[in-house]
Amino acid sequence: MALIRRCVPLITKIVRIHPTTVQTQKIHRWVSPTLMELKRREDKVGKRINPRNTYLEWNLEAELYGFGQRLNEEFDPDLLLQAFTDRSYVIKEEMKQKEMDFDIKMKDNRELAEKGDKFINAYIQNYLETVLPKFPMEGVKGVRNFLVSEDTLANISLNLGTKDIILAAEYPVDKYILATNFKAVVGALLESSGEERAAHFVRDFVITQLNGQDVNEYFSIEDPWSMLADIVKKAGGNLEPRLIGEVGRNTLLACYRVGLYVDKKMVSSGFGESVAIAKEMAAREALKKIFGTEDHMKPIDFKLEGIPKPASQTRYQISAS
Amino acid sequence: MSAKNIFLKPGFVRAPLQNGVGRYVCQLQRIVLKFCKSNGSSRGLRDYIEQDLVDFAKENPGVVVYLKPRRHRGPVVVAEYLNGDRVWMNMHNKTHSEITKWIDVLRTQQGDNSTTRLRKYQYTDHPSIQGPWTPFTFKNPALNTAELPNQAYGANDRLPMSATEQLRLMFEAQKLGKNEELKTAE
Repeated sequence: MALIRRCVPLITKIVRIHPTTVQTQKIHRWVSPTLMELKRREDKVGKRINPRNTYLEWNLEAELYGFGQRLNEEFDPDLLLQAFTDRSYVIKEEMKQKEMDFDIKMKDNRELAEKGDKFINAYIQNYLETVLPKFPMEGVKGVRNFLVSEDTLANISLNLGTKDIILAAEYPVDKYILATNFKAVVGALLESSGEERAAHFVRDFVITQLNGQDVNEYFSIEDPWSMLADIVKKAGGNLEPRLIGEVGRNTLLACYRVGLYVDKKMVSSGFGESVAIAKEMAAREALKKIFGTEDHMKPIDFKLEGIPKPASQTRYQISAS
Repeated sequence: MSAKNIFLKPGFVRAPLQNGVGRYVCQLQRIVLKFCKSNGSSRGLRDYIEQDLVDFAKENPGVVVYLKPRRHRGPVVVAEYLNGDRVWMNMHNKTHSEITKWIDVLRTQQGDNSTTRLRKYQYTDHPSIQGPWTPFTFKNPALNTAELPNQAYGANDRLPMSATEQLRLMFEAQKLGKNEELKTAE
């Protein structure tokens, strides 16, 4: 007994110096697998996003008023609400009303969108014809198609903050609904403030998307050489390509330079890894000069007032050739 | 610490939707002020609401303002932007003037700027305005009218003198020396 009593302090001392358990963070063994399982289920179902308009702090009327004020436009409140009502929402509401046996008529934005779409197309066509006077009709059409494409209009609509206000069956809304909504907003503006305000609205939000873009990219020319030859022939000139530079022939880094001469005066030059490519590039360069869309062209004017007159008749037509 | 370890959304300096090319649109679309009616930490926010909020709403009709009184909760300002960003800001114990300044910051910024790491301080879609470089880009214009072959342009001044060339020079020098000797002898 005496021996045990004498050993006790020794044992406690040893225990104090060499602790048998290492201190670890106390997270139960079940936490990790449970969280993993929850994450797996969430990924499977898809994360649920609460629509902004189901929040307590939401007032549709104030949002619609704010929308008009933000863009510095005066909308008719009823028309604006109609522009923000998507067809899918109306169908969903009608189904609900059928179940509950009552009937309130709602208007969707299809009519307004159609009206807006027509106006946007016509206005952009006239505007582009005015600011790019030498650009052929096919090119203008290409630029216009880019501007009125679903992607562009949906992006504009999204960045004007329509995403939360749109009344649709689904949330988040898809690109088609966003684009339709933008067209409908233009339609509503057309009816509430007149053509000129609507035109300036389209100019400030749609046409400015061309800022920093190269308009030549929206005009694909299949055969630039024959197009150029055609134009020069019509003008009564004599087109002649000449090889004016040649470096590293028969190597991987070959570079040729071709200059185009009209009546012995150099019009443009292009380079490439073969003579054919260099010639094509030179032809493209010359076409850009003819169309007034060189790399160093003046920026497109985004401040044209009023609605420009159509100028399609006086233009060079490629389709004729 | 590399940029990977800073958990910030990377981005460039960009104006949303070409803002300002056509017309200017204030990017703050709605602001929610959450506060407690009795708690001391909301004192500054309550003062702001009493004194400045109506003027703020009048000056910025495009910003939708919501007030959300909550019992015994901290004061918070939530700003929502047109590009979908949402900025949550705690206003605990902030004074009236501090809150005025913070709300001005929220009103004038274009999105959640404080949590974006700028990858560069400038941005361009077109890094070059003169096009790609070719061997002809900076060619000396004098070459256009030069008659080739020309010793001035075609001279080999890069490689060291070859052994053959050295031998030839030595031979010439020797021949020259002999001739001179002969000459002097005569």
